[in-house]
Amino acid sequence: MLLKQAALGAPVAMLLLLATSATAGKPEPKKFGPEYAGSETCQACHEDIYKGIMASPHKVADHACESCHGPGADHAGSADASKIRNPLKLTAQQTDRTCLACHLNQTTHEGRIQSSHMRDSVSCTACHTIHGKGPVGLVPRRQEDVNALCGTCHSSVVAQFQKPFRHKVPENAMTCVDCHNPHGSSRAAMAQSFGANEPGCLNCHGDKRGPFTVEHAPVKYEGCATCHEPHGSANPRLLVRAEVRQVCLECHANLPGVTKNPNAGAVPPALHDLRSPRYQNCTVCHQKIHGSYIDRNFLK
Amino acid sequence: MKFVPAFLVLLPFSLVAQDKAAAPAPAAAQSAPAAEPSPAPSAENWLAGSVDIGERWLSGVGGSLPTYRSVVNLGSGPKLLGADFTILDGKRRYFDRIRVRALDWGDQPYESLHVLAEKQDSYEFNADFRRVSYFNNLPSFADPLLTRGTALDEQSFDTRRTIGSFSLEVLPNSFISPFIGYDRDSSRGTGVTVFRTDADEFAVPATLRDSTDLFRGGFHMTGRLWHVTVEEGGNHYKTDQNTFTSTSLAPNPGNVTTPILGQTQGITSLLQDYGVRGSGNYTKVILTVTPTTWADVYGHFLFSEPQTSINYKQYDNGNFVLLSQALFYTSEQYLVSAAAKLPHTSGDLGWEIRPMRHVRVLQSWMTDRLHNASNAVQSGTFVAGTLGQSLAANYNSTDSTVIADAGKSIIVRGGYRYVWGDAFDTVLPAEGIPAVNHEFISRKVGMGGATWRPMHRFSLTGEFEIASSSGAYFRTSLFNYKKARMMARYQILDTLNLSADYSVLSNKDPNLSSAYKFLTHRESVSLSWNPAKRRYSFQGTYEHCGYHSQISFLVPSLLTPDLSVYNEYCHAVTALIHAAYGKLEVSGGGAVSLVSGSRPTAYYQPTARVSYAVTKNIGFFGEWRYYGLNEAFFLFESFRAQLLTAGLRYTR
Repeated sequence: MLLKQAALGAPVAMLLLLATSATAGKPEPKKFGPEYAGSETCQACHEDIYKGIMASPHKVADHACESCHGPGADHAGSADASKIRNPLKLTAQQTDRTCLACHLNQTTHEGRIQSSHMRDSVSCTACHTIHGKGPVGLVPRRQEDVNALCGTCHSSVVAQFQKPFRHKVPENAMTCVDCHNPHGSSRAAMAQSFGANEPGCLNCHGDKRGPFTVEHAPVKYEGCATCHEPHGSANPRLLVRAEVRQVCLECHANLPGVTKNPNAGAVPPALHDLRSPRYQNCTVCHQKIHGSYIDRNFLK
Repeated sequence: MKFVPAFLVLLPFSLVAQDKAAAPAPAAAQSAPAAEPSPAPSAENWLAGSVDIGERWLSGVGGSLPTYRSVVNLGSGPKLLGADFTILDGKRRYFDRIRVRALDWGDQPYESLHVLAEKQDSYEFNADFRRVSYFNNLPSFADPLLTRGTALDEQSFDTRRTIGSFSLEVLPNSFISPFIGYDRDSSRGTGVTVFRTDADEFAVPATLRDSTDLFRGGFHMTGRLWHVTVEEGGNHYKTDQNTFTSTSLAPNPGNVTTPILGQTQGITSLLQDYGVRGSGNYTKVILTVTPTTWADVYGHFLFSEPQTSINYKQYDNGNFVLLSQALFYTSEQYLVSAAAKLPHTSGDLGWEIRPMRHVRVLQSWMTDRLHNASNAVQSGTFVAGTLGQSLAANYNSTDSTVIADAGKSIIVRGGYRYVWGDAFDTVLPAEGIPAVNHEFISRKVGMGGATWRPMHRFSLTGEFEIASSSGAYFRTSLFNYKKARMMARYQILDTLNLSADYSVLSNKDPNLSSAYKFLTHRESVSLSWNPAKRRYSFQGTYEHCGYHSQISFLVPSLLTPDLSVYNEYCHAVTALIHAAYGKLEVSGGGAVSLVSGSRPTAYYQPTARVSYAVTKNIGFFGEWRYYGLNEAFFLFESFRAQLLTAGLRYTR
């Protein structure tokens, strides 16, 4: 109850807090001194780049070129490449700081601190072509472009998607960012969320959402990847084992009061004769294995 | 939603009509590769893009048609294979640009449409609409009758899922940017499921229908040094699975044909009706602050509270037996009324501090707490009572990392993560098996990594994690694990890129003696060659993987230990060669996945494509694809099929 009140009160409190500081926090336009040349000056020599920038969202920035490259008057006057900032020669951190000078306080970067991309020094420009050249542009939009871009580094994941049972990423029916947030997320593997904090898998698999009368604990504790390999598998239903009974029995192997294994998962009753095909696929009977509205044993 | 296919059918005609009145397409559009038309219009051209329409022919599927439909499911007929175009409003009255992308329409297994409309500093509207056919009927999957020669997957589905997501943000880049959104996810179709009694299971037809409507709204507030997003949402959920069977002929005998005490079981009629309704609200607050030039702070607060109410009805007639009482009966009624609520709170707080120019310190803390409470009242011919579950999981993690530039070309990092939490699961009333589980998780993880970038063209990244646990929820959970990964990228020439990736994970739970071993590793190498002028190009990837898992388990009927061993060794190759000769373009390649081990499988997907620019705006293309699946242990599930597609591309 307390949490619920806190949840409902938090936005209100935040609004009040921000209302008091709104004036103080309002962004002020940056002032450009004589050391800045202006983008039109850059255009004289860098026509193609200028056109790319003007066709991209970065055209909204005043002195678009110098917002990232720094003051350019000296460079424009001398044509000396050393007198302007060249992002190619910066470290990933320095490149990111250049971009984050404008983009840090944006929703897309909410999970940045947990992002493995950030920790592994994958800079913004590894994925974003800032000058917006080429068919993909600043931000890839077409499904095939998004998947191709991710695949340039994650080649082993591309290979996983070649297995017969898979999410339809090679067909471009889905993209990597449908499930992952490349900017970072508080969930494992930078996964997307459904609603506020539910697993992103539920964006499409809403029938597995619940809450159920009887939850299957692994689904809630450790998520879908406990039993499924989401990228692709040689096993039907993207299971992590070739046979359903092995998926189940590897956990359901504890004898209560006897075993020393401090894990959940009790042994099924003795009627389960694995020699009979009736018991070799557990989900024939335990069909509501993701959670049941009716039955404690997930039978209906 | 019927307007969507109609719109897409009309689209190519409207584009042609528009072209007659419009200025000629720029010369660059002619020479651009047909496979990658630029959808960005020039200043003079208010409409640019392409539309692909064509006809597809599917050869007769050799082998298992149900498996083909479960894995590929592409069919014959006229198709709108793709559309990608942008409309510009030169006067910028109502919009700056509208970008439309559509893919694979016309009774395809996956159809998508995306519309982006925006006007700078005024609004941004996104619409994403998809329809996915989910057909799954694998003869080997859930078929107790297979040994009798009957192929019937008793957990099969033929459904179509529709997913729509619509969002509108107004005044983007302003101090306050309100936004609203609506998402709908729905599915309907049919399937085969099982009605289970005490001593038999009966495959029965089922109708499946569920939907989730999600409404959300909020605002972004962006200051010079901070940003806040507040979002409130609510959803409505329902599922209406229904099974119905009735026969005046011989009863359905189910999976058990052996008489019990001289009587054969069978079902003559059944009605099962799941009436599930759910709703829930959520709150999301996101905060980023840059209090000084050397620090950034990030925080989230997330809360959701989905709840459901259930009314279940079941009426079945036939000849059944209740084994515990040796009681035969011919009809049964079973009613359940239940409710469940799952409040879920998450929060995290973190900061990045830059105490020195070349050093960053990252610290974060997060908690995730969910508590499910449910109760049900059951009444039926043989059951009367209550059922309830209380499930709680509290997961916490704190993480500290230091990243330092150890030189001009090396970045190193090291850190420590501590994960702790507990989970509690009680089901009442107790029923033979343990009704209470209370587990703890406690894990200490050391992390490290480095990125070496001696020159712009080359980078090598390595990272590792070593973890030690004193508790885990499940026997297969991560316990004492070691994880490492290396990625290298080398731009050998301006047109030639080489990348390689290696990852390994080993895990062991000492509480399970030496029987538990888990090891997986992947190695891949990728080559991309794009010579100048794009006359030729090549992209290829090779991956090898190994996966070994070994864990003891108890055979339920004997309580004797046995070993579950899973092995998987895979080789996967993807390649695509592209060549252009004037107006003619040819490409070929595909993918091969070879898996050996516990479930040997070979999956071949070669493809070839040819396109020819007939005129400045019209091009012809033809495509051939082959799909071949071979499963060594389940030969009856193998298939092979060829698809031929021919069509026209209109570009402007």
